[in-house]
Formats: sequence, C-alpha cells, structure tokens
Amino acid sequence: MTRIDSILSAADKGLDRSLDRLFDLVRIPSISTDPAYKADCRKAAERIVADLSALGFSASVRETPGHPMVVAHFDPKDGKAPHFLFYGHYDVQPPDPLDKWTTPPFEPAKRTGKDGIVRLYGRGTADDKGQLLTFVEAMRAWITETGTLPVKATILIEGEEESGSPSLVPFLKANKAELTCDAAFVCDTNMWDEKTPAITTRLRGTVKDEITITGPRVDLHSGAYGGPAANPIRILSKLLSTLHDKNGKVTIPGFYDGVSDVPKEVKAQWAKLKFSDRKFLKEVGLSVPAGEKGKSALEQVWARPTAEVNGIWGGYTGAGTKTVIPSQAHAKITFRLVGKQKPEKIQKAFRAFAKAQVPKDCQIEFSSSGPGSPASEIAETSPLIRKSAAALKEEFRRDTALIGSGGSIPIVRYFKDVLGMDSVLIGFGLNDDALHSPNEKYNLSSFHRGIRSWVRVLGALGR
Amino acid sequence: MKSLDDVLQGVDAALDDSLARLFELLRFPTVATDPAFHGACRDAAAWLRDLLAGMGFDARIEATTGQPVIVAEYAPKGLPSHAPRILFYGHYDVQPPDPLELWESPPFEPQLRKGADGETRIFARGACDDKGQLMTFLEASRAWIKARGSLPFRLTILLEGDEEGDSTHLDRYVAKNRARLKADVAFICDTGMWDAKTPAITTRLRGCIAEEIVVSGPSKDLHSGLYGGPARNPIRVLTKILGDLHDRNGRVSIPGFYDGVDPVPPATRRQWKSLKFPEKKYLKGVGLSIPAGEKGYAVYEQMWSRPTAEINGIYSGYTGAGSKTVLPAQAMAKLTFRLVGRQAPARIRKGLREFVKARLPADCKVSYKSEGGDSMAVTVVEKSPWVRLAQGALKDEWGRSPVLMADGASIPVVGTFKSLLGVDTLLVGFGLEDDSVHSPNEKYNLTSFRKGIRSWTRIIAGLAEQQERAKS
Repeated sequence: MTRIDSILSAADKGLDRSLDRLFDLVRIPSISTDPAYKADCRKAAERIVADLSALGFSASVRETPGHPMVVAHFDPKDGKAPHFLFYGHYDVQPPDPLDKWTTPPFEPAKRTGKDGIVRLYGRGTADDKGQLLTFVEAMRAWITETGTLPVKATILIEGEEESGSPSLVPFLKANKAELTCDAAFVCDTNMWDEKTPAITTRLRGTVKDEITITGPRVDLHSGAYGGPAANPIRILSKLLSTLHDKNGKVTIPGFYDGVSDVPKEVKAQWAKLKFSDRKFLKEVGLSVPAGEKGKSALEQVWARPTAEVNGIWGGYTGAGTKTVIPSQAHAKITFRLVGKQKPEKIQKAFRAFAKAQVPKDCQIEFSSSGPGSPASEIAETSPLIRKSAAALKEEFRRDTALIGSGGSIPIVRYFKDVLGMDSVLIGFGLNDDALHSPNEKYNLSSFHRGIRSWVRVLGALGR
Repeated sequence: MKSLDDVLQGVDAALDDSLARLFELLRFPTVATDPAFHGACRDAAAWLRDLLAGMGFDARIEATTGQPVIVAEYAPKGLPSHAPRILFYGHYDVQPPDPLELWESPPFEPQLRKGADGETRIFARGACDDKGQLMTFLEASRAWIKARGSLPFRLTILLEGDEEGDSTHLDRYVAKNRARLKADVAFICDTGMWDAKTPAITTRLRGCIAEEIVVSGPSKDLHSGLYGGPARNPIRVLTKILGDLHDRNGRVSIPGFYDGVDPVPPATRRQWKSLKFPEKKYLKGVGLSIPAGEKGYAVYEQMWSRPTAEINGIYSGYTGAGSKTVLPAQAMAKLTFRLVGRQAPARIRKGLREFVKARLPADCKVSYKSEGGDSMAVTVVEKSPWVRLAQGALKDEWGRSPVLMADGASIPVVGTFKSLLGVDTLLVGFGLEDDSVHSPNEKYNLTSFRKGIRSWTRIIAGLAEQQERAKS
C-alpha cells in the first residue's frame, strides 16, 4: 500500500465519524444575517476551533465587529513545505420558507433516493459546512496516518459570507502577514457534473454604472411639447440601442482591449464537456443565442465580456396612460469583464461613449456603486492547477474540467487585492444542491470523494 | 344694446366666492386612472351635480362604463324657437400628481400664491386642467343668471371623468345619448391663450393613440453573471426597437406612418408665421434649447402640424438603490402617437406592430395594451359664426384680437362630437404655457380665472344680443 492509499483508507474508515462531525456542525443554526442567531454563529466558530485544536492546529476564535473568524495554523516544521490558505465559511442562509422542507433544516438527515443516491439534507450541508469539512477531514486523515501534513496550512473560516462579508477585508488587512500564503484554496464551488470534477479558473469582473439623462426641467405634456422637446427616454433608448452592433459585439471604442482569445487547448477541453447551448437556453424559455455571434454559450459566459442593462425606468409606469414627456430617464448597467480589461478604463470609455450621444441641451450624470473589479483568471497551465487537476483526475477517473463562472466570487478578489494571492477554486457541489433554497443537500459521494480528493491534492501539493 | 357692466361687476364682486367654489372642487383627488381615487371621482361628481342644481339646472349623475358623467340641462322658459342649443363640455378628472416630492404645496390642497412678478396664481392639480377652466364657464353662467334671471339659450352641460384616461367611456356614452346631447355648437374650455395678454381660439388639435408594449424574453429573471451573453435581455430588445423609432432627422421610421399627413395650407402657414412664435423662449422655459422634432420644421410646425411618436414611460428590471445583477424577464414601454391630418389610428397601430415584430428575436414575445381610446386630428372651420362671435367677445375683454391657433395636444371629445353628433366645437381657453399641466406645481393664473369668467360672460352676452337682433 502506498502512502496515499493508506491515507485514503484512513479517510474511508473515518467517514462515519466525519459525517457525525458534519451533522453536529449543521445542527448549529449559524444564520449570519439574523441577529437572533448571533450566539449560534459563535458556537459554530468555537466548535471548529475545538476540533482543529484537537487535530494539532493552533486554532483560535478571532473577534471582528460582526461574527468571529476562525484562524488555524498547522506547521509541519519542514522548511521546504509550501504554505497554503484554505478558506470556507461556517455561516448559512436563512432556511425560509420552512414549510417547504421535508425534514427540519437544522436536523440533518441522510436519505437514500429512488435513484440509489444517498443525500445529506440540512441547511449548510453543501454551502459551506459540508464543503469546508472535506478539506478538514482530509487533513485529519493525513495527520492520523502520518502525524503531519505535507504542506504548511492556514485555515480561514468566515462567518459572514452569506451577509456580504463586511468584516472580511478589514480582517485580511489587519492580519496580512499572518494570512499571506503562496496561494489560497477555496472550497465553495461545484463539480462539472456528478462524475466530472472541476476547477474554476475564470471569473468575470464587473463594472457597474447608473446613468440619468435629464432633458426638460420638468415633466411636460406630450401633446403640448411632443415634437420640439427632447425626450430623455428616447435619448436613453437610442444610446442603449447603440451599445451592441448587429453581431452582438459591444461598440464602445477600446472595449475589447485586453480581451484575448481562449487558448486552443482550453477551447478543445471545453468542447469535450459537451455543453448543450440549446438545453441551457431552453431551461429559461429561450432558443436564440443572444451573445456575440460565432461564440458558444460557454465561451460567452466564461470568456467574453458583456454590457447588460439590468434596469431602466423613466416617465409614467403605472396603470393606464399618462401623456408625459419626463424630465429624466435612468438605466443601470453592468459590464462583465474578462482577461486584462481594466475597470476604470471601461467605465471611462463607456461614459465618453454615452456623453457623445446626448444632445447639448440635455445632461447626463453617472453614479457607480463602486470601482468595479477586474476578471480573476488563473492560467490553466499554472503548476497549482495542473497538480490539482491531476489529483482530482486520479480520484474521479475523469479529466478535470477547467471551467469558468460568469458570476463573481468576491473572496477571490479580496485574496488577490489584499494579500496578493491567487485562488484555486475546487468544490464538490452539484447544480441540484438547492443552495439558498429549501431541502439543501450534499450528496454523500460529494462529501466522501471530496475528502478523498483533498487527500490527493494535499499529497500532490506537498510533493 | 344693453350694457354688460352690471354682469361684469357681478363677476368681479363674486370672485372670492367663485374661487372658494373652485378650491372645493380642487380638493377632490379625482385621479380617474387610479382605482384608489374612484371614490373621490364619485364625490366630485355629486358635488358638481349639487352645484349645478343649485344654479337651476336639471342636473343628474349618470353611469358610464368608466367614471360617472354629470349631465345638466338648462331650458329657460319663454325662449324663442330659434334660440340656439349649446353643449358645454368639461372634465373633472385630473392627471396623477406624481412625482409628489416636487410639489411645493400638496397637489390637492389648493393655494393662492403671489409671485415676484405680482401675479397671483392658483396652485393645485387640476387648477388649470380642467377644473379651473371649466369653472370659468360655470361661474359666467352663474353671474349671468344672477344678473338677468336666465340664460339666453338652451344649455346642456356635460362633465366627464375619464378625459385623462380612457376616452372610450365617453365615446360610448355619447353614442347612447345622441338625441339628448344634440346641439348647434359645443363649447369647450380646455385650451390655452396665445400668451398672457393675447387670447386665442384653437382651430387645430392633434389626434392621439396610446400603446403599451411589453417584451418578454426569458421565462424568469436571470442572474446576469451566469446568463449574461447567451441569454436575451428584453431591455436590450426594447431599447433597440425604441432606438429605431426615429431616423436621424427626427422622422418616425414606421413604414406608412406619414400617410394622410398633408402640408399646411399656405394661408395658415402665413398666419402662423405672422405670429412670430418665440421658439427660443418656448424651449428655454423648460430648460431646453435644441428643437428635437423633425428637421426642417419650425418648433410650432412640429407641434401643430406634424405627427410624433413619444415614449411616455419605460420600466424594467431592478430600479432600486445600488445594483442587482439581473437579466429581467420583461421590459415595458408606454408610447403615444400624436396624429395630424387624416392619419388613421388603426393603420398607425398596425404599422407599429409590424415594426416591432420585424425587430423581435424569434424566442421573445411581445404583448400590447391599447388604452385611452383613439382620436383623430381635428380641424375646426375658422369662418364659422361661432368663431366670429367669440373673436369679438375675447377682443372686448382682452383688448387684443384673439389668435386662431393650433394645439399639439388632443381633445378626443371634439372628434367624438363631430362624428357622433355632427356638432362643431368652439375651443376657447385661458391656460398658459407655463401652467405645468400634467406636471408638479400645476397652476392657473388668477387673471386667467377672472378674465376667463369675464370672457365667457361676454360670449353669453353676444348670444343674447343675437337674439335681441333676431327679435327686432
């Protein structure tokens, strides 16, 4: 038996105890958004600290203005061992609507479905208690079997992820030296499907802007003024209608600066995923791909920037009619960024583009809710990704999908901006886990093979 | 000819009472387009019925498919058979007051405020449109009856409550009550003066159709990160349609839109030109400086003789504070088209729908709501005896000849009276451009109110005089 096999076997043997620990943690209703559960959040943090201390970590509950953090260190006393941070969060979403749960959200239950699949039900079984325990239990197997870890590990478990992480950035800044590692591993994402492991390597960035166009000083009667008076809704519509050309490309000058084509090998790998554009659109009632012509839906979501109007309003919007030319019209716009697109540059270019289309006797104002964020991408060829992907492949006997995510995961940006660390996103969730919904679940196989995967990843990183 | 001075003095002496009555009427929040205010509409109708009954009218409230109408008949005894029959029309409903926060005093608590220019103004929703205006006629009738005992003509007063909303309710009512509403002429007080010193008779009105468009894309709101790109955004589809609605010269791009739009006759053009319409001032008054309508037409031509496509409202997605990365399932816009000449509402509507369809992706849907009723443009004969009579009366009151002008707005009932009753309408009104009709801080100058009452008094006197002449 190789060393890895013996550790994997220790993990297998310990699975029932691992499950007990997961269920104990799920029983604590650590709902971070509801002040009524403040004590429960602390209780969850304390339990994790006790558990990690027992494992040999130097672990502590760390105060913040909100819910506490857990920070734990394990030093194998091997000067050559790389140092990684492992992130998860112990807080959960509120369980409402309660009447939709088959079993109570904080009384975890193991049920076997008609398909023979064993699932673990309870709020937080997947997001993120089940996921974070996959790496904790893998470390337990390593320590049980070898007395140490192959890497120097720092664990950071947050308690405010579901409520906007208000304390996170100040905490990272205040503890920069302690928390800065070679890279971070985040266990809060999904597999490609139940048989195919995945590492998320691309997250789009965002720029958000709001425009207000002011025409006449006051709302006007459209009969009396219709014709000669500028209508801000018309100006806004015209402006937004010129944002895309007929091929779906964004027309703002310089918008695509810093956008590179997806490398051939990555494209080939994505093609192997056999993603069905038709099915993807059909599920949401659509059938005609709306993005840039000539790009697949996956490429559009994972690797292409967009300009989206998220909201628009102006004039009379109640029942019936009101013959008004409004004084103002508004729109909220989000740009999703990829590659090396710079948020400040995109915003500046957009504003210049918009200004140029507004008649001289009208005004345009912009307000943005923040500076925006660039895309987070880790080169698919980086050694960390390669090693992790290979370790996952050994476990699942399938090529690891290197995927993108159209959305953004703020923690990745914070690690990069504050601590200068790249993040590797490995997770074992599935699309049907019902995160944030009633009957949240985590497949037993996700939990079990997740633990086994981390055993292998830790081994690969330490080699 | 008997002197008019006694009646006019009566008008002036009773002005405070007239104002008190107007204020009572203004206090009813008669926003007919909002069901929450339908009780107020009923209350206002009852108040108006009682007011007219108190003046000696046979006044009744009658149900329609919308808000009730008040029909009040005045048939003085001993009138010669050739005495004219007049139909006076006004509306007691008002526009919604939003945005409320921009009002200096609450919209339904009328206030008199004196400006730095010395002019006293009545502030309230409906102060001008149309409560203040309709009361000028009612108060003139009251003064006349008080001074002379009875009116020199048979009069039917029709006051409706759906003018700002769905005019089809009144159309249906008029169609069912043709015989009772038949008249030699209709008077309407819902238009403006040329300027603060120059009265006007309106002879052209634009027609109007309203259309609400809802574009539906995905079956539910989507996360714009996870779907942005491949998933169709209905806001983008809608703004593309709306962005295409006008070409770069400001012309409406719907095929066939200009069918039935005739050039203005040279005589009318000359008259308009002689008015020296103050284009710059007109736009500057509302904070603008560049005419936004069709290139090659003067501002007044754009308003009076050219059709338009206007977007009155647009709504979709997240509109609260901050941001929400959503791809909405639907996007909505409210449009109105102002029509001129012989433009036919049904054809315009069909043209719009084809225009939209041509720009709609195959997996999106569109639905329409046509509300408010359709009206064609109206042109009143300028050489009628009624216009002549009003010209004289207005000149006497204001010391200036009234301008025969056009109005870009629509008064659908004018077309209804013509098509269903065969009756022409005399449009005399005392509104001013800065009355903020349909906007916050709507007002009516006290001068408009007072001299409006006096103007109608003189018009009534003119009718009395006609009969004197006929007798002798």
